[in-house]
Amino acid sequence: MAPYLLVAPAVAVVLGILGWPLAQLVAISFQRYGLAELIRHRGRWVGLDNYASIVRDPDFWLVALRTTAFTAVTVLATMLIGVGLAFLLRRVRRLVKLLLTVTLVFVWATPVVVGVSMWQWLVDYEFGVVNWVLGRIGVDGFPRHNWFEDPVQGLAVVGAVVVWGAVPFVAITVHAALSQVPEELREAAVIDGASAPQVARLVTLPLIRPVLNLVVVLEIIWNFQVFSQLWIMVGGRPTQDYQLFSVYAYTQSFGISQYGRGAAIAVVMVLALAGLSVVYVRRMLATEATS
Amino acid sequence: MSALPTVGDPAPAPGAAPVQPAVARPAAPLRTAPAGTRRRRQRRRSWAADALGLLATAVLGFPIYWMVSSAFKDGPELLSYTPHWWPHHPTLENFRRALSREWFWTNVGNSLIVVTATVVISLAVALLAAIAVARFDFRGRRAFVACLLAVQMVPLTALIIPLFLMLDGVGLTDRLPGIVLTYLSFVLPFSVWTLRGFVLAVPVELEEAAMLDGCTRVQAWRHVLFPLVAPGLVATAIFAFIQAWNEYVLAYVLLRSPENQTVTVWLASFTTSRGTEWGPLMAAATLTALPVVVFFVIIQRRVVSGLTAGAVKG
Amino acid sequence: MTHRTVRTVRTAAAALALTTVFALAGCGDDDAGSPSAATRPDKLVVWLQPEAEKGWPDLLATVNKAFTSRTGVPVEVQTQQWDSHLAKLDTALTGRTPPDVVELGNTETTKYLAAGAFDDLGPHLGDFENSGTWVQGLKDSCTFDGKVMCVPYYGGSRAVIYNTELFAKAGITTPPTSLDELFADAATLEKTFGSDPAFSAFYLPGKNTKASLAFVIDAGGAIATQDGGTWKGALDSAEARSGLASFKSLVDRFSTADRTGDESKQDATFAKGKIAMMYGLSWEPGAIIDPASGGDPAMKGKIGVFPMPSRTPGKTMPVFLGGSDLAVPANSPNQELARQWIAEYTSTESMTAIAGTGLVPNTTSLLDRTPPEAKPFAEAAQQTFFVPVAPGWATVESKGVLDRLNVSILTGKATIDEATTTASTAITETLNESP
Repeated sequence: MAPYLLVAPAVAVVLGILGWPLAQLVAISFQRYGLAELIRHRGRWVGLDNYASIVRDPDFWLVALRTTAFTAVTVLATMLIGVGLAFLLRRVRRLVKLLLTVTLVFVWATPVVVGVSMWQWLVDYEFGVVNWVLGRIGVDGFPRHNWFEDPVQGLAVVGAVVVWGAVPFVAITVHAALSQVPEELREAAVIDGASAPQVARLVTLPLIRPVLNLVVVLEIIWNFQVFSQLWIMVGGRPTQDYQLFSVYAYTQSFGISQYGRGAAIAVVMVLALAGLSVVYVRRMLATEATS
Repeated sequence: MSALPTVGDPAPAPGAAPVQPAVARPAAPLRTAPAGTRRRRQRRRSWAADALGLLATAVLGFPIYWMVSSAFKDGPELLSYTPHWWPHHPTLENFRRALSREWFWTNVGNSLIVVTATVVISLAVALLAAIAVARFDFRGRRAFVACLLAVQMVPLTALIIPLFLMLDGVGLTDRLPGIVLTYLSFVLPFSVWTLRGFVLAVPVELEEAAMLDGCTRVQAWRHVLFPLVAPGLVATAIFAFIQAWNEYVLAYVLLRSPENQTVTVWLASFTTSRGTEWGPLMAAATLTALPVVVFFVIIQRRVVSGLTAGAVKG
Repeated sequence: MTHRTVRTVRTAAAALALTTVFALAGCGDDDAGSPSAATRPDKLVVWLQPEAEKGWPDLLATVNKAFTSRTGVPVEVQTQQWDSHLAKLDTALTGRTPPDVVELGNTETTKYLAAGAFDDLGPHLGDFENSGTWVQGLKDSCTFDGKVMCVPYYGGSRAVIYNTELFAKAGITTPPTSLDELFADAATLEKTFGSDPAFSAFYLPGKNTKASLAFVIDAGGAIATQDGGTWKGALDSAEARSGLASFKSLVDRFSTADRTGDESKQDATFAKGKIAMMYGLSWEPGAIIDPASGGDPAMKGKIGVFPMPSRTPGKTMPVFLGGSDLAVPANSPNQELARQWIAEYTSTESMTAIAGTGLVPNTTSLLDRTPPEAKPFAEAAQQTFFVPVAPGWATVESKGVLDRLNVSILTGKATIDEATTTASTAITETLNESP
């Protein structure tokens, strides 16, 4: 009985708030739901038409591929940098640690709108500090480098912004997990003759693995859904070669008023994400079983 | 020896048991090494780490520095062909313009109410659920966990209209409780997930030991689990705070009257089709980011240091 | 549970409000203009874009005050953001209490008109002063299937904004009167100042599609043509291509602006004093000297304006007539009041005030009320063009078809022929899709 009582409030809140909207979303994805239908609150059932039209859209497949690649690269980069910083935080002296932590929190606390605008300035074609520095060290001449001419490069810049914004979460969470490892366990291992790397591998890592797995899954979910960073970076005017899934879904819904298709894309996104993260979720549930 | 979390301000809270600062603690302190050697080894290792830490601070912090310094720059200085690394003619004009803009304080107040309610409710509810899924095996546990994850996979923009319709049905649009509810819908699942990880990271043996010593299960949670999960609670609280504090789209769509809006919506009003008021925007952004940093420092010092140090020792 | 409580509270509140209103109505005068007491709402909600608050706050305040004193209904103006206002509008239109008046950009209206989102104003056209002389480009954006469903608000004309100091130094005394002359002047400027790598003789960001389309129209091209019920993209015509070729040549030779960027930064850049000419709207000279948006007050007195010359000597290049319309959502419970408010806000008097800010008023009868410094904008607005009035046009814009056309031409990723064929096909397909 106890576990049910403990989860009951959470279930009530989530179901109470999201139950109906989610059901609506799924229902709309099977309907023709444009602006006129939206105003009258009544769509027309069209079965799998919306899904069929998405699958037939060549853009969809490009978007799917692009989003997957974008997610993979940004998650990897975020994890490497974030976990690195978490370990680093335990090594540095007090003052450096304070500086680094305050910086991390400040980065995190900066509203996305403003943070992205800052980056926009940094990589600006004419006034950007990055171009100025590159020009100074002789990489590029004055007719400066345009970071957004090539979508791969442009998305790389967007990716950098995403990683920059995500690193604090990873670093702080993993650092918290590291501080949670009871020192006694580590000391015991040392007494048993383990070397530092061995302690890390055999004691620390297994204990923080649940947190690591969790962070990876969350990063996959968030980076797959990146919207604001991209939207703001390209001035709210993403051309087709810049579209990621969330922007694609948003354009279909609010740009074109094809709410049925927008909903179908959202459903497909959830399925795709579930597919992408299933490995980690499995692993997570597995760790849980053994603990 | 304590598992004191050491994110941020490492100063022990007043009244707390003296705590050995974890700052320069090597990953595996060698018990057998004489104190002197240990110190030197730490020191040497620290130099490289410190340098790396400073580099990371500089790289990550540069855009923030640029934002803050831009807040003190006057118009023509904001964009310049040769970067002005610091404000050559520092001015408070941008702050004055930002603060004199209508609704600032009201909207900051709204944000604080919304965020506090969201964080408190979701942490309380999530901690219970996290303990349940991490410490019990019950029917439907996996499904519950998987559903919480799946819920976060739904793009928020796709839910705007159904959420609006539902809130409209119960008369909660343009009202702060409505926003708190919608924020709970994404902050709570996240909190359950994160806290679950932190609970799992506490070896269950510690609780079992406490129970062998005569604690009840709830007592074991209170005296053993809770203090050890505290750093996780803090991390989760900060995250929940930031997510709710920075949310824009839902707040913009669901709250209509200017007096009911949150501060992110207010921030967006600096950008118009007639150009963005960059200086005041940067000033305003600096001002709105500050409460989060302050919140972080407070929670760090009061809750974590005091509570865990005391509890573990006691 | 909560649901029922809320309902009960609401009913009680409504009953109370009604009683109060009845009580008040007993002693107030009940003139023809005010709605019957039983239907009088507690406020009229008006959604406007930021221009009003920034450009003519006094007019807005005056209109609202007069409206309230006449009808007894206070007006609440809620300022929206261009970037995301359609998402909010779509959402609000589904609710029980939509705003009573909304503002839309004139390229955004058609799909809403087609969906029946707004009240048909046909029977009430007489209530709006000047409805007989509405500016055609704006009126078109309010008309669908022969029905008028919104009210033109104002338009924005574009012209060349130039740095008078740089012109004088380069020895150019009169503004160019043909496109060839413009190119020649730009070449002179480039020769004089070109050693400065930041100098730009004609600053034109790549995503300025309003500029590229103007070149297309000026060369005799069109965006799309309608034959019967079918649309056909026309950007692949020889005329359109030739227009785009001169657009590209202007950018290639004289612009240092970001070829993938938009116009959002151009005023701050102009304020640096290194741009000789750029293509802008009538409020932009003001933004150049406003320090809050990165401008420089030192530029005061150095800014001139002339209409963009046509390739036909002596004529001006047609301008895209962007602008705004006002509409009453079909499910607003206060349509009568909303119409009255719009009528007052777009009266001859109000429009004279808006024309005084340099914008194009909604009626041709007031076109001469433009202040002297904005005259070239008014002159340019003699010849305007507009995007195809089709529900699918919003889709063309959302997909960024024109942005992509510009960027791929300017960055050399595609030839003009290739890029225009792609764009034109996309336009044909999109406009003919059933909405």
